[in-house]
Amino acid sequence: MPLESILPSLFAGEAFRAAALPAELPPEALMGNDAFAGFYSRSARPLWAYLARVSADPALADDLMQESFVRFLCAARPDDGEVAARRYLFRIATNLLRDYWRRPRHASIEEIPEEFFADVSSSAQSDSRVLLGPALAQLILRDRQLLWLAYAEGYSHHEIAEVTGLASASIRLLLFRARRRIAALLRDQNPQGWPSS
Amino acid sequence: MTLSPCPHEKEIAALLTRGQWPHAAPAELRAHVGVCRPCTELALVTSAFQVSRTTAAAAAPLVSPGVLWGRAQLRRRNAAIERVTRPILGAQIFAFSVCIAVAIGFAGSHAGQGLDWITSLSQLFPPHSLDVTRLWPTSLTGSGSVLWVLVPLLGTLALLGGAAVYIGSSEER
Repeated sequence: MPLESILPSLFAGEAFRAAALPAELPPEALMGNDAFAGFYSRSARPLWAYLARVSADPALADDLMQESFVRFLCAARPDDGEVAARRYLFRIATNLLRDYWRRPRHASIEEIPEEFFADVSSSAQSDSRVLLGPALAQLILRDRQLLWLAYAEGYSHHEIAEVTGLASASIRLLLFRARRRIAALLRDQNPQGWPSS
Repeated sequence: MTLSPCPHEKEIAALLTRGQWPHAAPAELRAHVGVCRPCTELALVTSAFQVSRTTAAAAAPLVSPGVLWGRAQLRRRNAAIERVTRPILGAQIFAFSVCIAVAIGFAGSHAGQGLDWITSLSQLFPPHSLDVTRLWPTSLTGSGSVLWVLVPLLGTLALLGGAAVYIGSSEER
């Protein structure tokens, strides 16, 4: 039975309209539709790239990206500019990815992404994935996240700490070790050197 | 393992971030990268990640922002409805608990009369044809011991009723 029919006066009046927004969320904290469309067009691709490369699963990246944006829109956060908003978005995505990784799951062959079996060497666009992917796959999730945020997104140690929730003081050492490890893996894979950007 | 950074790292990182490495880099900086391990690693890793970021971002399949916006609105609305209905559900559970307690009290106070009625009913029929008490364990057939049967029975009913209310309210949500 719909609740509106049980309590018609409550759901038809101002009380419901006011309650339709979370009580702790002032209206000015909500991003408008147009503002969101602009923010989305600037942030969605980098976020998807982050999730797809770190998880090595494009389908999972699709799901987590959409969930990240929905949670971002529902969250109460201070309006302190697009850079901070994007950092907040990456933080949500990082937590979602970590939660997904911690969840026990039983993978079947149907759940493995199709491109995992595809002949990637035939696609010029997948060169970077072919070269970086196997190296990234040998690192733990935390190191993949740290490296991506530092070297793909260009975040500072302080910003990475904010996104990942790790202590700012430990980022430097963790990043140093992760960089050394992936550099060795990349050198082993591609002794001729990496194509410059 | 030393963590002391090379003094050229920031300069190289800035060139890499702007996409000017190695074309716009001074010759001495390029020569330095050839011999400095941290700077070599920085150039190698940053280049690899930036190329990967560019190709991955170009391949990103994006849904319409309006869809996500609508989904967020729906989720906010559902959260608001849940906040409104939570006290109602609490009141329902409280009222149900009070009813159960009253029913148990009533059953307890009238158990003796019920037993008398069952006994008088059994007298209408030939002996041993409708003697309900014969079905009970002999330890429970004493006076007042019928409560030991009724109370757990009503308790079980209350538990099942509570579970039914909980499942019903979960499905509504």
